[in-house]
Amino acid sequence: MRPGIDLRYCKGCNICLYMCPKQCFSRGVDLSAQGYFAAVVTAPEKCFNHDRTEKLICELCVLGCPDQAISWKPEPEEKEGKDGNKTG
Amino acid sequence: MELFDFYDQDRWPHVFCPGCGNGTVMNCFFRAFNEIGWKLDNTVFVSGIGCSSRIPLYINSDAIHTTHGRAIAVATGLKLSRPELDVVVFTGDGDLGAIGGNHFINGCRRNVDLDVICINNNIYGMTGGQASITTPHDFMSSTTPFGNKEYPFDLAEIAVAAGANYVARWTTKHVHELTKSMKASLAKKGFNFVEVVSQCPTNFGRRNKMADATALLDWFKKSSVRRDKARAAAIDHVDLNLAGQITTGEFVCRDRECYHERKGGKPHGDGH
Repeated sequence: MRPGIDLRYCKGCNICLYMCPKQCFSRGVDLSAQGYFAAVVTAPEKCFNHDRTEKLICELCVLGCPDQAISWKPEPEEKEGKDGNKTG
Repeated sequence: MELFDFYDQDRWPHVFCPGCGNGTVMNCFFRAFNEIGWKLDNTVFVSGIGCSSRIPLYINSDAIHTTHGRAIAVATGLKLSRPELDVVVFTGDGDLGAIGGNHFINGCRRNVDLDVICINNNIYGMTGGQASITTPHDFMSSTTPFGNKEYPFDLAEIAVAAGANYVARWTTKHVHELTKSMKASLAKKGFNFVEVVSQCPTNFGRRNKMADATALLDWFKKSSVRRDKARAAAIDHVDLNLAGQITTGEFVCRDRECYHERKGGKPHGDGH
């Protein structure tokens, strides 16, 4: 599994950057449709849950996100989706 | 249960400021509630007035939004009239400790079966950042522009002294410990009190050179001390709190009987 940021809810507080012990996230550079610099998942392969599908560990980003914007997404089959961001 | 079965997705994104700690508490509470296996139909959420008291409005359940400071009073009445319901109270520091301070102390004393979650953001966040009873010493706020001369209230220690069954304090940095404590407090009978020291970047951090939510979380990380460690080192933990430190941990876990379980005993002074 990998963390994915829901751009509808993210308010760009960057708490996920602070909470993540593996530096999976980085600061956003593009404005989201809501008007915030939403964080981006740049290194999902570093995540503790990269190879896991159940019994997830850590979860500091999911629990720490104050806007409920981060959720677990399954790993994509192909290498197309580089960032785990869901647009919309 | 999924997160948005528990919370009302139609109301998202919520009104809290970017970086506010209330959302973190909502995540942790959802985890604890999900693990304990309670039913939403059988649970009532009571809140007073304040930023943190808006949380029950986002939950897909019955909620009572009461007058300022009277959340514990209303919840006590609700629990005593309908003992089959589970009652959870969400309040803030101004609601619980300042205007409702006596309800809080007497709720602890009566030991009614309530679960109280107090989100302490060290300031009156909703009304513009006035100094509250929990603003640490020498911290700025809009009413104390030269630093707060007063010393803060220690809500968790008051609950211990007043006789609550379960008392814990964590910060929003300690999310896993907070979830565990919330679960323990939901599972226990009696008056269970969990205080969460939360960040308010808009009104507290901005005036104290911590305008970023992550700077406040860093402050929590640096200044939080485990209460048992402070006790083992023979430091008075009240002094730590007065010096701007935050003692965290599980403060007390005891089994006093609840108010509605109490049987009439032998009256004192019979032999006279």
